[in-house]
Amino acid sequence: MLVAGLGNEYRSDDGAGPAVAAYVSQRMSKVVSKVISEPLDLIGAWDDVDLAVIVDATRSGSQPGTVQIVDLGGAEDVGALGGPTSSHGMDLPRVLRLARAMGHPPRRVVVVGIEGENFVDGVGLSPAVELAVTEAGDLVLQVIDEANSCA
Amino acid sequence: MTHQRPADSRTVHVEGLARVEGEGSLLVEVRDGMVETVELEIFEPPRFFEAFLQGRRHTEPPDITARICGICPVAYQTSSCLAIEDACGVSVTDQITALRRLLYCGEWIQSHALHIHFLHAPDFFGCQDAVELAGLDLAAVQRGLEIKKVGNHLMEAVGGRAVHPVNVRVGGFYRAPSREELGALVEPLRRALDASLASAQWVAGFEFPEIEIEYQFVSLRHPDYYPIESGRIVSSGGLDVDAKGISDLVVEDHVARSNALHARLGGKDMYLTGPLSRYALNYGQLSPLARETAVAAGLGEVCNNPFKSITVRAVELVYACEEALRIIEAYEPPDPPAVAVPGRAGIGHGASEAPRGLLFHSYELDSDGLILSARIVPPTSQNLLCMEDDLRRVAQANLSMPDEELGWLCEQTVRNYDPCISCATHFLDVTVDRR
Repeated sequence: MLVAGLGNEYRSDDGAGPAVAAYVSQRMSKVVSKVISEPLDLIGAWDDVDLAVIVDATRSGSQPGTVQIVDLGGAEDVGALGGPTSSHGMDLPRVLRLARAMGHPPRRVVVVGIEGENFVDGVGLSPAVELAVTEAGDLVLQVIDEANSCA
Repeated sequence: MTHQRPADSRTVHVEGLARVEGEGSLLVEVRDGMVETVELEIFEPPRFFEAFLQGRRHTEPPDITARICGICPVAYQTSSCLAIEDACGVSVTDQITALRRLLYCGEWIQSHALHIHFLHAPDFFGCQDAVELAGLDLAAVQRGLEIKKVGNHLMEAVGGRAVHPVNVRVGGFYRAPSREELGALVEPLRRALDASLASAQWVAGFEFPEIEIEYQFVSLRHPDYYPIESGRIVSSGGLDVDAKGISDLVVEDHVARSNALHARLGGKDMYLTGPLSRYALNYGQLSPLARETAVAAGLGEVCNNPFKSITVRAVELVYACEEALRIIEAYEPPDPPAVAVPGRAGIGHGASEAPRGLLFHSYELDSDGLILSARIVPPTSQNLLCMEDDLRRVAQANLSMPDEELGWLCEQTVRNYDPCISCATHFLDVTVDRR
């Protein structure tokens, strides 16, 4: 099981994923919780795991701080996830497809997104995003609990 | 994405330059069959960091500037450490320098493996991305990933983390890894070296567009080694200066269309930094195996074809693996792992070779060691004018191509530079406008 916070905390709300990863890590030490700046580094980290929860900032046009969850299951179709939203070298959908092409995808992928407001260079989350870190973190913990209870 | 307009006013509009780090835009205007204008639109985060650093303590730049880029944080850390140590009149020990070079090898291995296999090679197969390439040549993609992982492990062992290392400080490191910790990397590095040799052979077989450009090459030169973490700055035009010299010589002009500054030597000459420059100016400093690899790949002692930069990177990948093995074999943990660097009033400069080219920093400190001003000049900004010039030549030579094909070639031309767009720009939108 892996929780990966994607993003860069020096790109304002792009730091939402790392903030949630830290929140989860403080409350559930047995889960591997990582901050990953470059999605390609998920390959290797999530190979063949039962569950990978990816937390990232989103730019979908929703209200800033909106928390969304997408359960991709076995990640058979990731086209709807769209393209890159920050300066990550390779975007998450491509990395998911690459993991499948290489034969070691995670068995289940859940993406938790926090709608960002401000992605300019700088530290600190927008107030709405800061508030949403707890909600997103609790959602991640819930997903993990449910997965554990089903195991 | 590509759009077409009528023949008298044709526009190729590529929505996104994929496989570069970030976003940005490019406009190519063609008038009466001649390329009239090439403009790259750039937004430049380092400029924010320069302001952000003002008032910070002299010990903070390695941690702060490392966050400018997830692809080349060691370059930012090293150049900032060198500049601060210069300002404070401190030199580090040979052991600390060797450990810096080892960490930097990790970054070169990571970055070059990523660019060669995942970002650049797909162009030569007509693939949109590495996922498509994996369908054609899975072994090559897997090999690239394995090499990159070894770079990650090296970064973790020396820097504490694979991305944005936390073990670097002004004056050295917080902790020196043990010989045993580094010894565990020997076998993986040997495998990475073998894999890099295979990749060099692989890329040598690609079909390259025929173009030769007489660049003014600029890179570091070290008396003993192929340049990575230190050296003087030299050029194919006879330049030979230290980090202060290059800082004084490079004049950056603001261009209204762009957030980026355009760097010129002496305020007038464009110049090239990066693998082609390092290679041309330091061929003799490569290891015998790296030189053999270059010869086998069909390279001469100078490479003027920007599309063959992927081959030069593969040679440098071989070198970085070998060099990491050499440093580990001779490794003596620095004790203490850092020298003291008391803050003082002064101005300092530092330069190192990021995977994609020369990166130099300058800082002015007050008597308490607080930063009064900072200047960060990343390689992608220095290469902007050459990128535009390459694009002008490539577009002009290939105007007979359909818009979509020409747009693709323009994207590839930019990717030759492995531009670190989070350092120098957001990169999107290639527009070829023909009237």
